[in-house]
Amino acid sequence: MAEALLTVAGLTVAYADVRAVEGVDLNVSAGEVVALIGANGAGKSSLLKGLMGLEARVQGNITFAGSDLAGLSPLRRARLGIGYVPEGRRVFPGMTAEENLLVASREDSAARTVRTAEMYALFPQLAVRRHAPAWQLSGGEQQMLAVARALMTRPRLLLVDEPTLGLAPATAQSVIRVLRGIAASGAAVLLAEQNARAALATADRAVLMRLGRIEASGTAKAIAGDERLLRSLMGG
Amino acid sequence: MEFLQLAINGIALGAAYALVALGFVLILNATGAVNFAQGDLVAAGGFLAVALAGFLPVPGLLLLPLVVILMAGLGLAVSAAAYWPLRDRPPVAVFISTIALGIVIQNGLNGLFGAEPRAAPPLFSGGHLEFFGLVIARQSLAIMGVAALLIGGVQLLLKHTQLGRRLRATAQDREVAAALGVPVGAMVALTFALAAALAGVAGLLLANQFFITPTHGTDFIVKAYIAVVIGGWGRVGGALAGAMLVALFETVVAAWTDYAVATGLLYAALLTILVFRPQGLFGEAEGRRA
Repeated sequence: MAEALLTVAGLTVAYADVRAVEGVDLNVSAGEVVALIGANGAGKSSLLKGLMGLEARVQGNITFAGSDLAGLSPLRRARLGIGYVPEGRRVFPGMTAEENLLVASREDSAARTVRTAEMYALFPQLAVRRHAPAWQLSGGEQQMLAVARALMTRPRLLLVDEPTLGLAPATAQSVIRVLRGIAASGAAVLLAEQNARAALATADRAVLMRLGRIEASGTAKAIAGDERLLRSLMGG
Repeated sequence: MEFLQLAINGIALGAAYALVALGFVLILNATGAVNFAQGDLVAAGGFLAVALAGFLPVPGLLLLPLVVILMAGLGLAVSAAAYWPLRDRPPVAVFISTIALGIVIQNGLNGLFGAEPRAAPPLFSGGHLEFFGLVIARQSLAIMGVAALLIGGVQLLLKHTQLGRRLRATAQDREVAAALGVPVGAMVALTFALAAALAGVAGLLLANQFFITPTHGTDFIVKAYIAVVIGGWGRVGGALAGAMLVALFETVVAAWTDYAVATGLLYAALLTILVFRPQGLFGEAEGRRA
């Protein structure tokens, strides 16, 4: 396996007296999709927020591309090459779809235009709706926009939080396919999902979480084959 | 004809109020907090113009760039003193800290300039023009022109530049903006600078139309607050329309009744709007702000 792009050791994320994530060890390499799977409240979103620097009470070691992320702001982490697609899309509602894309770019105007065109090629539906305010987009379109917006930053690692939540199956599939394509282009993807089947179908490896801790990990294929483990974690 | 005359005066006054309200909304959207010192920054801008005119006896238009630059600096200081240390606290903390800072500004102005009313120089020159029987003060025209240019400029900045997009993204979702690499701290500080510069220009304009005193800021913040509530909390266009409405009450309605009655009617209108349309005349469901 290639050297890990992201290495996490003993990560703990706490809110007041509650530890949402506790003692998590994890690594993600360039070109692979790693799925974080668990029921609601398992700590997946808190883990991603902790990696992005969006939570104040984080302990443990996080190394990204050789840089220690301790104490770095979300801004610095983004500029190192970490992209973030938040749960619930959280597009900028009063801005058009195109403005949502443009604002995320740190390149000059010409490069920004080129990158925007690349995003429209990846998500043709966004090109059609480019001048619509983001709040008018459908859930699926907003999710595409949230992913495309993060890709505007040309991330080396993409953190994606519940991208299929509330989407129609076909739309969810197309979003997942795009994530697979992102990994194929050389970036790493860490995908938090409640939809275990969808996540396992696209991931190379999977990490199963329960109550803030890692319960099991392995290749996506092996995890997908362990029905009993999946049912016990997801409560199905 | 009398109505038209009054309406022109009201639009000129409303243009100056609109600058105050615009700055108020920009900070409200960027921080989620009310900057209660915005009115005192108007007074500070007026006194700054008075002070600069003492050193440089030139028309107000030539003082305007200096007022903009110095007031932007003051806005950065307001951000550092009243917002930055409290940025992770609930918005009400900033509301209270800006009230405190406003009191400091009022007393600072009182100590520096005294309590007597003062007047800033006109933008070009005094006097008036006549069009078809309408008498229009040159200063009123200048106020409308300067305010239109500034408001248009701010709109261009917000809608058509990367800096403007970053300011808006910060205002709409600071956490996500930061995760995308937007320097949100700098964006908030810039918003304070922009709002203070707008307040300063309003101060320069109004300190010629009316005398200004160190405690005058309270009037301005109340008017800006009413304008923003009427227009729709956080709506830029609504705040500008609300500012015009406030000014028209002060001119047109006051001329037909008297100032006290007009003020009472303005508050009655405000209450009526709040009862029947709590989101303001141009407000929409939360999450759709431009």
